Amino acid sequence: MRGGRVTAVLEVVVLVLVALFLLQALQGDHPESSEVRGHLVENGSRETGALNLVTAIYLGYRAFDTLGETIVLLVAVTGVIYFAVPAGKGDDEEDHDTRSDLP
Amino acid sequence: MIWALICLIFLVGLWGVTRKANMVKKVMGLSIANSGIILLFVHYGSLSGTTAPIEGSGRAMADPLPQALMLTAIVVGVCVMALALVLVYRLYLRFGTLDMHRVELGAWKLHD
Amino acid sequence: MKKTTILDLISRKLAPFMLLFGLYLLTYGHMSPGGGFQGGVVIASGVILLFVAQGVEATASLFPFRSLSLLEAGAFLLLVAAGLAGLAAGAGFLGNPIAGVDVRMVPRASMILVYNVLIGLKVGAGISFMCMYLFREDR
Repeated sequence: MRGGRVTAVLEVVVLVLVALFLLQALQGDHPESSEVRGHLVENGSRETGALNLVTAIYLGYRAFDTLGETIVLLVAVTGVIYFAVPAGKGDDEEDHDTRSDLP
Repeated sequence: MIWALICLIFLVGLWGVTRKANMVKKVMGLSIANSGIILLFVHYGSLSGTTAPIEGSGRAMADPLPQALMLTAIVVGVCVMALALVLVYRLYLRFGTLDMHRVELGAWKLHD
Repeated sequence: MKKTTILDLISRKLAPFMLLFGLYLLTYGHMSPGGGFQGGVVIASGVILLFVAQGVEATASLFPFRSLSLLEAGAFLLLVAAGLAGLAAGAGFLGNPIAGVDVRMVPRASMILVYNVLIGLKVGAGISFMCMYLFREDR
């Protein structure tokens, strides 16, 4: 099915509904601070030794998330290097009834 | 009114994902929506203070926790975009076109 | 990519300052805005400016492919080893092994500095290696 007017109208209706929901949910005030923020602001630089509180969080209190993020970067670079081969050397296990000898 | 602008950025990204047939534009729309959500979190964290969360400032500091979490979100978003773009490149090499509908037709022809 | 005069000149004069600024963001991450990831991507963008303007062969003589790949993997292994050192000293995985030492001899932020430098080297080497690999033309 190539598109058509019904699909276009449905897509626009979904977008308008998402817009209305976002405008309704995001306005108004939100609760400001919690107990964790008070503890972080008072004791953050004393316990980890860093003056920058953001560094104290992502390398002191939540260093495991930083390790996981490093692993995600490693896997992404490996995946990009693996996939970036030209067409002549790619995997050719299906039969060729479409063009595959492109430069 | 900043939340309305952020809402607009997210809707532009969402429109790019659904209504565009070019696959590179779809991936870029996803990246724009990602940026909008990150801006939303950082904006709501900055409402409870006036300056950067560095010790020795003296004034009320903004919330440091959403900023630290959004660092991870930005890096993960960059990794997802890199992998998505390289997959679009492999699809282009296989089918010769970037149009989503023609790639779908070519894939159905391969399947039969 | 066609080499124009202004791109050639600007890239040769500007890229060392971009690399220096990325190194500054890396090493001052614990006392001013910055850190490992920020400094790493600024270093990567300096390398990307070099190979977009000068060509991949000229940049590969300055940042070879093998050494970038080894730097990325080696920095990640050193990061895990630094975390295990924290485990061996009794402060938990990725903890601070020098928390009990006298503050005047070793400042307490040195472990955060080590983590920042390792993460920055890993991110910078990884992203510049990925972009330089995709930009090659001698396939």
